[in-house]
Amino acid sequence: MESTEHGSVSVREFHANGSRMVASEVEAKLDQGNIQEAEDSLKEGLSLNFEEARALLGKLEYQRGNVEGALRVFDGIDLQAAIQRLQSSFSEKTPVKKGRAPTESVSVSQHAASLVLEAIYLKAKSLQKLGKFTEAANNCKHILDAVEKIFYLGITDIQVDNKLQEIVSHAVELLPELWKQAGCYDEAISAYRRALLSKWNLDNDYCARIQKSFVIILLYSGVEASPPSLAVQVEGSYVPKNNLEEAILLLMILLRKFSLGKMKWDPSVMEHLTFALSICTQTSILAKQLEELMPGVYHRIDCWNSLALCYSGAGQNECALSLLRKSLHKHERPNDLTSLLLAARICSEDSHFAAEGVNYALRAVNNAHDQKEHLKGVALRMLGLCLGKQAKVSSSDSERSHLQSKALESLVAAIKLEPNNCDLIFELAVHYAQHRNLSAALRSARHFFNQTGGSVLKAWRLLALILSAQQRFSEAEVVIDAALDQTARWEQGPLLRLKAKLKISQSRPMDAIETYRYLLALVQAQKKSFGSFQISSKVLDDKINEFDIWHGLANLYGSLSHWKDAEICLQKGRELKKYSAALMHTQGVLFEGRGQYEDALLATINGVLIEPNHVPCKILMGSMIQKIGPKYLAAARSSMSDAIRIEPTNRMAWHYLGLLNKKDGRISDAADCFQAASMLEESDPIESFSSIL
Amino acid sequence: MSGDEATTPSAKPKASATATDSPLKMQTAVDSLSSIVPSLSKLTPASLLTSPDLYSKISALLRQPNSGAGDNNLCRWLYDTFQSGVVDLQLLVLRFLPVIAGVYLSRVADRKPQAGFEAVLLALYAYETTSRAGKPVSITIPDLSQPSVYHEATAKTPGKGPANSAATDPEIAVVSPALEPHGTVRSTRRARIVGVALELFYAKIGHMPVSSKTDFCEFCKVWAGQDGEMYKNFEEGEMCKKLEDGGAKEEEEGVVEKKNRVEGRVPLSWELLQPVMRILGHCLLGPNNNKHVELCNKANEACRSLFSRSMHDVNPKAILPMRSLLRLSKTVMPNHPDPTELPFSDVISL
Repeated sequence: MESTEHGSVSVREFHANGSRMVASEVEAKLDQGNIQEAEDSLKEGLSLNFEEARALLGKLEYQRGNVEGALRVFDGIDLQAAIQRLQSSFSEKTPVKKGRAPTESVSVSQHAASLVLEAIYLKAKSLQKLGKFTEAANNCKHILDAVEKIFYLGITDIQVDNKLQEIVSHAVELLPELWKQAGCYDEAISAYRRALLSKWNLDNDYCARIQKSFVIILLYSGVEASPPSLAVQVEGSYVPKNNLEEAILLLMILLRKFSLGKMKWDPSVMEHLTFALSICTQTSILAKQLEELMPGVYHRIDCWNSLALCYSGAGQNECALSLLRKSLHKHERPNDLTSLLLAARICSEDSHFAAEGVNYALRAVNNAHDQKEHLKGVALRMLGLCLGKQAKVSSSDSERSHLQSKALESLVAAIKLEPNNCDLIFELAVHYAQHRNLSAALRSARHFFNQTGGSVLKAWRLLALILSAQQRFSEAEVVIDAALDQTARWEQGPLLRLKAKLKISQSRPMDAIETYRYLLALVQAQKKSFGSFQISSKVLDDKINEFDIWHGLANLYGSLSHWKDAEICLQKGRELKKYSAALMHTQGVLFEGRGQYEDALLATINGVLIEPNHVPCKILMGSMIQKIGPKYLAAARSSMSDAIRIEPTNRMAWHYLGLLNKKDGRISDAADCFQAASMLEESDPIESFSSIL
Repeated sequence: MSGDEATTPSAKPKASATATDSPLKMQTAVDSLSSIVPSLSKLTPASLLTSPDLYSKISALLRQPNSGAGDNNLCRWLYDTFQSGVVDLQLLVLRFLPVIAGVYLSRVADRKPQAGFEAVLLALYAYETTSRAGKPVSITIPDLSQPSVYHEATAKTPGKGPANSAATDPEIAVVSPALEPHGTVRSTRRARIVGVALELFYAKIGHMPVSSKTDFCEFCKVWAGQDGEMYKNFEEGEMCKKLEDGGAKEEEEGVVEKKNRVEGRVPLSWELLQPVMRILGHCLLGPNNNKHVELCNKANEACRSLFSRSMHDVNPKAILPMRSLLRLSKTVMPNHPDPTELPFSDVISL
């Protein structure tokens, strides 16, 4: 098949025993089917014995691409017998002390050995080319069995000549390949292990190739290999227990070989490792492997970008962002769309980085053209998210409303391009909800809910919150009850918390207390059953937050003037979280309820010290300042304006500001504030919409 | 259909040693199937596992509207057949998982009752739950500073610290968290239940026929809901370079594809995406898969679509493995010389 056909046929010749012979004459005989004659002329011309002549003939036929002919020639040799002769001839020599070798006789036997083994090897290759893989594999296996018997202590450098070593190495590499082609993956796996775990004196290239193709079988064949046998295990050494472990181990070894200069770079090694480690969500380990690579293997920007993906995948977003900043620098690759989108996405999760994210997202929008046009909707989505986040920390009202409307504009533009993107539909719903466009919010939330078939917990929560904001409490409760029905026990925490708050909104405090009690029981059960490490990440995310329960209960008892119970709950909360602005606020409320205004003020001041932007503390602080004395009205007002700046939709803040204005005699201002408060009250959810994100 | 034999001759389902009543159960399965699908009435217990028509006929029925309803006889048959406990029959049912999962997930948004499909999926889930016995599937990440069967520990940075490398605990990675039993498909657990069924499919993929894998790849495209043709010749990194070459033409094709896009995009949470990627890895890079042209093509299309989806979701956890699969799928063509070939020369010597 792939013989050196063109032109070179004329110069093909045999060399042996110091003489040479042109091959064409022999070829002609072979073409006529006269193997015997061809053999005879070789024997005479080069003074060879029968086996040697056959071996040369087989080789000739094989090189000419006539594999069937080669097989016919090889069939004439009794290879099995030849192997047995070899073994006995070698075993006679083994008692001779090693080191001071009887070179003469060994080299003669080695010559005979390589002759026979090469013949078998070519036979196996011929069978492979004819598609007879199992037969080929069995022949190839004979070679290894024979070599193993001859060199039962393993091959070392001084023992064998180059020719023999080359055939052994080839056979070691060919055997698993043949089993693989035969579809016998179990046999292939043990052949790979035999190749890698026995002493064949393979050079680095052979070894690396075998390891690479073994990795492919391990990762993609879908056949789970049993662990390596106990025979090869050395005390204290790591034994991979399954395919993934074995593949990852081999890939890491390959990378190390490359670092040590023992192997040429092969990009596929890194890709296989990326796949394997990503599958088991270990991208941080992948990052380590990338960092350990020698500089220059990947372009530095590609390396930064891959690392950023790894770190972001492992939840280390800040680390990812700092790498992306480097790669998106104007002197590097500032318009790389993937990096821009990832950077914008990371920034969109933190209001401090939102402005930076807007920049990335805008660049992404501008670069989403031609082949990458399909990502324009994604870029617009990121832009909308970043703008929305930026609006939260803007210093002025006008800037905020400007940013908010831009954010909405981007999200709406995005959804036109990505009408089926569920995440986007959800984000749009939250955006509408946060700006109290409740009917649009409900529409989008429903759309999301239907698209995801209720499979996403936050869809249920958002629906319930929007309904509660529309003051449709009983409908919200129906949603929550249905959601509870569709959720496993350990994920019910946030739903039950909402349920308790719904009960409070419907003035059924005793029902709310009952719900909280059930939540506490769940927490206890959860603690018991998750003692071990087998908590899934999903459960961890939604784990019932015990602190939230005590805090909610403290508030509830406070509102019922059950001071003692409230204090107990507060204490429980403090045991879980020592410094908490939310608890300070509740403490303040309790003091206020008992008329201890100064203590209440102190509590809120402490709260603000812990969390400078804690809105409920600010509101209560303002109200307490005003209670203590009319001369501090300005301070009270500033505290209240602060609260409104941070959370413009907080109706309590508007209400108290109205009270302050009224006290100050600014009646029309007061009226405006009260109107705002009452309008907001009509669209107030039982829990902030941002609690969903 | 030519491609209906199992891909791996060695992996032919072995005769189950489970029960002496398995011939009886096979007969029952054949009888009830032929009453549901009259065109398969010529089946015998012997031909049940090898019949070339079986897969195409049953999967066509599974794709019909209302096929997943609670009173659907075929679903009932699949459920009963799986529950028979006969290994061969269980593998037979598993062949249809790609179609069941594919049709099921794509119909969730239509709010049709699919209790029939759910019963089959729950049976597969329950099987896995029992066999895993409450334990998560986890692996230990190898640490090269420890010696292994394949290498000797070489202190990479000698003198770096007082033997702290040996003290580090091995990193445990959870591949699939522990399973809780489920009696119904709660909507928030749907992805997990289907995902675990796919994990079972992956574990037995050596026994699955090519047509089943091809269908799986087709549904990957539907689930991704994203056309991936722009990644046919390009990969995000090198796009800019080659843009001038064939950009315009490619784009036109992309537009055409976009119009034909099938509805059925589903949320791809990790619990679903992870087994999907493992199965896809097998379809793309599994040994001897290149013999099956259709599977190869579909797997490549699926790979591009899912990569495109991961980019649209800006999901680094999915971008990394999908990008690697995409890159590997392009190098899979064996154009490098065969290393096991002995050197050819004009001088033939001993």
